[in-house]
Amino acid sequence: MISASQRFWFWAIVWVSVVTLSAPTVVVLGASFTAGNIIAFPPEGLSLRWYEKIALARDLQQAFLRSLIVSSICMLIAVPAGTLAGIALARYQLRCFNGVQMYLLLPFTIPLIGSGIGLMMMFGRLGALGSLWPVGFACAVINLPFIIWSVSASAAQLDPDLEHAAANCGAGRVQTFLYVTLPAVMPGVITGSLLMFILAMNEFLVSLLLVDARTVTLPVQIYNSIRSIITPDLAAVSVVFIVMAALAIAFLDRLVGLEIFLKSK
Amino acid sequence: MPPSIKARYPLTWRVMDALEWLADRLWPRSMSRHTGWLLIAPSLIIVGSLVVGMIEIADTSLRTLDTATFRMSESYSLANYQKLATSDVYLTVAWRSLLGAVLTTALTLILAFPYAYIMVRTRSAAARKALLICLFLPFFIGQVVRAYGWLIILGNDGIINQATGLIGLDPHRFLFNFPAVVFGLVQYMLPFAVLMLAPALTAIPEEVETAAKSLGASWPRTMRHVVLPMARPGLIGAGLVVLTLSLTDFAMPAMLGGGSQDFIANAIYDQFFRTSDAGLGAALTLLLVMGGTFLVGVVLSVFGAGTLAAGRRA
Repeated sequence: MISASQRFWFWAIVWVSVVTLSAPTVVVLGASFTAGNIIAFPPEGLSLRWYEKIALARDLQQAFLRSLIVSSICMLIAVPAGTLAGIALARYQLRCFNGVQMYLLLPFTIPLIGSGIGLMMMFGRLGALGSLWPVGFACAVINLPFIIWSVSASAAQLDPDLEHAAANCGAGRVQTFLYVTLPAVMPGVITGSLLMFILAMNEFLVSLLLVDARTVTLPVQIYNSIRSIITPDLAAVSVVFIVMAALAIAFLDRLVGLEIFLKSK
Repeated sequence: MPPSIKARYPLTWRVMDALEWLADRLWPRSMSRHTGWLLIAPSLIIVGSLVVGMIEIADTSLRTLDTATFRMSESYSLANYQKLATSDVYLTVAWRSLLGAVLTTALTLILAFPYAYIMVRTRSAAARKALLICLFLPFFIGQVVRAYGWLIILGNDGIINQATGLIGLDPHRFLFNFPAVVFGLVQYMLPFAVLMLAPALTAIPEEVETAAKSLGASWPRTMRHVVLPMARPGLIGAGLVVLTLSLTDFAMPAMLGGGSQDFIANAIYDQFFRTSDAGLGAALTLLLVMGGTFLVGVVLSVFGAGTLAAGRRA
């Protein structure tokens, strides 16, 4: 039982956190519907004019399209590689297992600015800067541990006897993999893909380092525009991110349930 | 003429047979001992690009910029590191980053602990779900949009200043100072910290707390002597992750600090994109990577990879 005074103090702090976490989202949503030319309080009435404006803005549309391309490239690279690695880590005996695991966590242990600068130099030497695939590749590298983790969590729950049974019934290795192993890890693959997509869509610092003026992604475009004056059209663009985040959470909750993140090992 | 026997097999069977045949040619069964390595190889290669990047950085950090020709020198020297060690500018930046990161860590943990505790212990499934959504939504929206939201709220012409203006108060400058950056970092780090703390709190049986209380301990004493010590691995893990992430952050100092509150990552960015002294920037990057990797390495070796560890049945 939680005593009354403890409940009071803890909930007070929780409310501070909830407001801090939600305030930017609420304000951006509100500002995007303003009728005025600047973001004002109290708001100057409701309108959809800023959505109309961004629907006609070519630079924003192209930045959005580029972000989608970057996210797709990121998924194309990270999902197959991460799925196979997740299965391998959970189901195969590997020598120097701990070493491999530490190595695969490098994207988390190296600070983002370090990974970004390193990849920038590498792609610069290869002469690949200025196209979008290095950005997608970079997003895949820095977030790879997420999908490996989510797939191997699924794979660890698969009973190895199921694969043996399939082989016993005459299925070859490819068939066993496609009809038994892969469906079993599918929840992990889908969760991981979702994370990869949304994180690549949002990725800011690594994008900033790897893009040039012709290939800016949407977060970088927003960042560059903020530098000047704050107008409601940016708020309308930001709503794109809010909608995508809400969709991702709804999917994640349906798929695995958000409560999975509270479980202790 | 009767159709051949083979054509009567479904197409999927024939495709499958072809795939099995191909698999046997490309990866004979005698190799199956090494199948694990085959599956993990793509990921090893992808992560290898970071290693290549680190080598590039190390190489560049040993070359100096020739200010006459704006080319990097052919020979190696430690001049960049000497320059960093003797420069007051970088000492200030490093000190500011460290102070910011330590303050952020302390404040984040103070906010994160009650959040995680209530989320784990509440009886209401709806409250738990709502608290989880409040965590994930900002995490998925991304740093830039969130910082933009704070600019709207706290800016000189922001909502708060306009609201206080209505009752006749002079505008207050909330942004572009050190507290604004720390505040931005705290709200950015909060979801990470709560999500790392929650499993540690789940692992503490509720009966232990009940026992402490039935022996007469008040709730602050129960927290201090029972829950906090038992949650210590989670607290230290969350603390070190928040410390490293905020020490190396770029977006919050850039957007809420307004250029006057640079952290190390901003100084690195400026070396590459403003001053164009890649050698000095690379030396700074390498020092930060070593510091950051050391901190995370401590977390991983002391606590194990935790939730990030591959889901292997122990």
